[in-house]
Amino acid sequence: MRIRALATLAGLALAAAACGNSAEAPAAAPTSAAPAPSSAAPAAGGKLVIWSEGAKRTAALKPFAEQFGAENGVTVEIKEITENPQQTFVTASQQGSGPDVMVGAHDWIGNMVQNGAVEPVNLTDEQKAGFNPVAVKAVTFNGQVYGAPYAVENLALIRNTDLVADAPATFDEVAAKGLALKKDGKVKEALCLQVAQVGDAYHAYPLFSSAGGSLFGATATGDPDPKQVQIGTGDSVKAWGKLGELGKKGVLKTSITPENSIPTFAKGDCAFLVSGPWAMNDVRKSGLKYDISAIPAFEGGKPATPFVGVQAFFVAAKGQNKTLAQEFVTNYVTNTDVAKALYDADPRPPALTAAMDLVKGNDPDLAKFLDAGKDGLPMPAIPEMSAIWEPFGIAEASVIKGGDAAKAAGAAQKAVEKSLAK
Amino acid sequence: MSAPSVIDPPKKAARHSAARPARRQVTTAFVVTRVAVLAVAAALLLYAVPPLVAAESWVALAVVIAVSAVLGYLYLSRRFVPAKYLVPGTIFLLAFQVFPVLFTFSTSVTNFGDGHRGTKAEAVTAIEASSLKQVPGSPSYQLSAATKDGELVFLLTDPATKQVQEGSTDGLAPVEGATLGMTGKVTAAPGYTVLTTAQAAARGKEIAAITVPTRGGAIKANGLSRAVEAKASMVYDASCDCIQGENGPWKASEATGYFVNPAGDVLSQGWQVNVGLDNFVRVMTDPTINTNFLGVFAWNLTFALGSVLTTFALGMAVALALHHPKMRGVKIYRILLILPYAMPAFAMLLIWRDMFNKDFGLVNQLTGLTTDWLGQPTTARLAVLLVNLWLGFPYMFLVTTGALQAIPRELTEAAGLDGANAWNAFRRVTLPLLLVALSPLLVASFAFNFNNFNAIQLTTAGGPFDVDSIRVGATDLLITYTFRLAFGSGSAQFGFAAAISVFIFAIVAVLSAVGFRRTRKQEDVYR
Amino acid sequence: MKLAWRHAFLVLIVAFSLFPIVFVISAAINPLGTLGSSTLVPTGASLGNFADLLTSDVYPFKTWFVNSIVLALMASFTSLLLSLLAAYAFSRMRFKGRRVGMLTLLLVQMFPQFLAVVAIFMIFTEISDLYPAFGFDTVSGLMLLYMGGALGANTWLMKGFLDTVPKELDESATVDGATHTQIFWRIILPLVTPILAVTGLLAFIGYMSEFIMASVFLRDPSSKTLAVGMYGMLVGDARNTNFGMFAAGTLITAIPTVGVFLWLQRYIVSGLTSGAVKG
Repeated sequence: MRIRALATLAGLALAAAACGNSAEAPAAAPTSAAPAPSSAAPAAGGKLVIWSEGAKRTAALKPFAEQFGAENGVTVEIKEITENPQQTFVTASQQGSGPDVMVGAHDWIGNMVQNGAVEPVNLTDEQKAGFNPVAVKAVTFNGQVYGAPYAVENLALIRNTDLVADAPATFDEVAAKGLALKKDGKVKEALCLQVAQVGDAYHAYPLFSSAGGSLFGATATGDPDPKQVQIGTGDSVKAWGKLGELGKKGVLKTSITPENSIPTFAKGDCAFLVSGPWAMNDVRKSGLKYDISAIPAFEGGKPATPFVGVQAFFVAAKGQNKTLAQEFVTNYVTNTDVAKALYDADPRPPALTAAMDLVKGNDPDLAKFLDAGKDGLPMPAIPEMSAIWEPFGIAEASVIKGGDAAKAAGAAQKAVEKSLAK
Repeated sequence: MSAPSVIDPPKKAARHSAARPARRQVTTAFVVTRVAVLAVAAALLLYAVPPLVAAESWVALAVVIAVSAVLGYLYLSRRFVPAKYLVPGTIFLLAFQVFPVLFTFSTSVTNFGDGHRGTKAEAVTAIEASSLKQVPGSPSYQLSAATKDGELVFLLTDPATKQVQEGSTDGLAPVEGATLGMTGKVTAAPGYTVLTTAQAAARGKEIAAITVPTRGGAIKANGLSRAVEAKASMVYDASCDCIQGENGPWKASEATGYFVNPAGDVLSQGWQVNVGLDNFVRVMTDPTINTNFLGVFAWNLTFALGSVLTTFALGMAVALALHHPKMRGVKIYRILLILPYAMPAFAMLLIWRDMFNKDFGLVNQLTGLTTDWLGQPTTARLAVLLVNLWLGFPYMFLVTTGALQAIPRELTEAAGLDGANAWNAFRRVTLPLLLVALSPLLVASFAFNFNNFNAIQLTTAGGPFDVDSIRVGATDLLITYTFRLAFGSGSAQFGFAAAISVFIFAIVAVLSAVGFRRTRKQEDVYR
Repeated sequence: MKLAWRHAFLVLIVAFSLFPIVFVISAAINPLGTLGSSTLVPTGASLGNFADLLTSDVYPFKTWFVNSIVLALMASFTSLLLSLLAAYAFSRMRFKGRRVGMLTLLLVQMFPQFLAVVAIFMIFTEISDLYPAFGFDTVSGLMLLYMGGALGANTWLMKGFLDTVPKELDESATVDGATHTQIFWRIILPLVTPILAVTGLLAFIGYMSEFIMASVFLRDPSSKTLAVGMYGMLVGDARNTNFGMFAAGTLITAIPTVGVFLWLQRYIVSGLTSGAVKG
């Protein structure tokens, strides 16, 4: 038995060694679980490692990454980070086991830059001009472009046209209509806008801004100024009151969560849904008639500005193969063909105008989303923004449940200031 | 490592666990063991050493050899019997648990966290790199990598004038007679060997390392086919230990790990510095922490104790109910009862969360209630305890079932026959015997639940929160609370989190140690 | 009569333990299953979700399944062995630092894992460079990491059980001339089979569902375990579309566990009673 155990051990060691070797051969099956040895040896050809979030996108990127590999005679590995991709990327980069290219949201930029995890990307003026201007603005941080944008997403108001034929002009109309339909028993909920027990700043922000609320003051250059936190002062207090009012009426509810918001609308139990392009898959599958419009403002209020989120490719500063990473990010994924093909595999509104024009004929919803977001605010990429999300959400949930708006505003303000003071 | 089949029938040399050098016959088993130990050690060394030598990691190599030597001595010698049993697991424990714990504790005296992850040199590199801007009016060159006399150089085409230059670490030099391709890239030039894309890609690192000095700045490759003349607007100046540039000079502050300018602004790329006991002071003096601490701590204790008691009570009750000679369907029951434990816990936590939803949840739907379960402090606490009971009782059920098998049935049955009623039999005989086996486990279970991050984070995320104290929720455990303080605002503050965890660690240590002392009594029941 | 009461109680508890699972089953066979839906009765019944899951290009579910089982079997077996050895020493031998050692074991387990991630990255970045076979994205590397926790709770569990084995048994064996190795393998081990079976099962389940470490460790879609892979199905914008498949996956995940349980069940009941008679 001992001898057998020993033999097994030796066998395992051999097998392990064999795996290690076989992975070096370029012909090795790409799905092999054994990792290729890290590119410590400079002689061993080029290798590009890409990290992405979400299985679907990872799968969508794979053929393009491999095509790039084939064109340039290098091996490309694409990995999917399941949990907390940004922190995992920053930590791994710092320890020297990060990727060469990271795919993610533009609002990570601030934190990635302060950790020296990403490098500016040099796009030519022609390249920049080819993008949706909001996308370029979003990936620009401290005057530098940090990523090649590939998708632009924002919230819009999606309505069931069987229940509401015309787009409401004001949000008050949305609320009234929703409540009336609920009273008549035509729907179960007045509005599908996700809140959940911990709140959802991203989805609440358009209403918050329309009611006069703001997060930060602006610097001289128009960027958000983390030194002026405004989440709980001045007009923001009134905005919190407005959210509380909608809560009292039952328009906003903590029982509407990210899990049930879209399905409830798709089932026809809700006349209005506030969501983004990612909801369309389910909405279309349900077969109900719908239309998409911008989120309307409150009567006499400011515009209901949605956040614009941009998905982008970043060049890792501590990657093993920066030249290849730059080539991939600046010259490959910025191609219209690649952008179009990426859209086909994972339909997010392309950031490249030319690609957008190619696909919008088949997908009229895209243009409507784009339209709804044209006055949107690129989600602030400053690292300080991360201090906002949680206090905002908690304050939101508590006013919607009937908490005092002034108190919630004050508490949120204090919490944000405190975590920024460090 | 070994199995009974190999060992010969009992030897004559009697030995006890204490070291007692004795005459001992050299048996087959003895020889086989020793040979096996040596062979395993040799195989491990054979696998572990070459890469270390290749990487010139001499310290690691020394450690590996020292450990192998100690192991060899330990298993070849007849002494140190307890160590022979403890060492295999302990090696893994030291490498993958003790080291991370100690490392993390060591970060509690630093400002380690987002913006302060690396060294000062890394911060300088990051600052300079992120200030690199294309020199105004300079072209975006078409790049071909080429070799000239074996040396790697750039062949740069100005897209406007189609003029070709050689770029090397010595600077720019004109090139005559180059052939340009469709895109303007040089495809051939006399005296140069132009690299194919694949060749260039393979030498990506060398290409990235080339900096061509120019009057306005420097030309660096930007990918494989483009090069840009850029200049850093922020540059480290060693003479003043500062960064020169816009709004500067930014002086290095070793106290905060930032570059600070006269206006008091800092550059966001900082580095890791020692901050002494600052993090601990912050834990002690931060009003959000110390005003909420007692409340969170009290609930945390309730949650941990409640979880242990309810899961144990239910698990044991179920095990006892099944523990009857005439019971039928035991197998089916057992399978159905362990199912909650067989499902992925994180998935079930999320499902329970949604079942408690006020308007959409199954719980309200089936009971006809309209309770906002997770929206009110008391019901939320009940709900998380219930969920934890659901998740945890199969574990206690299994363990008790195992322990019940260890109690001779004659004992429990005899007590029953004596005329003592069932409850008394249970209390006097079964329970004490069960506790012998299970009390260490109950201590461990308490400690586990005290820090049961997932059970809270995935259901209530610490909530519900009150407008008066939005930093602490009704179901917050110390661990979820720490998590929110240290990472909740998105940017990680590892040093601070480590300091808090030192405190929590101390608390759990004291509590568990007290509980552990009580197990001493049980330990010797059979002795 | 008394048996009837037992059955009544058990049926109640079974209902409690199955209630959420019925919900999962309903979502799995419901073609429109969503995490937010609120019915126990599916609106339709099909095995479409199972088929989608097993044939998905995006989610290599079968690979995850194999990875998980290989990992859980290897890891639970090895950790069982490591912790049994340690528990034997803690229970049967008296040496300096014994109680301190046990307490340390417990305390180390209490350390919040999410803080250890940085150190794990440090260690495995080195290992990945030196020994790629045990580096990131390998099941063997993850197993190595898990072995760090092998001594944790299992040692405590088994030590408690070993304490119930009468000391006279080993003493008489010692008098008969048995070595500590022989006592361990030939006397103690057969007596504690039920406990080994229980602990083994618990360890197996634990490794099947471990998530925090696995999620930072396994990034290659084909190296993932069920827990990590399936969590990935729920994050991001595909959350709702995937829930039916996710529910189906959750059910499939339970199959190996139930299988292992069925296999170990006979050891659990074989019991000490029979062993004790022999001793």
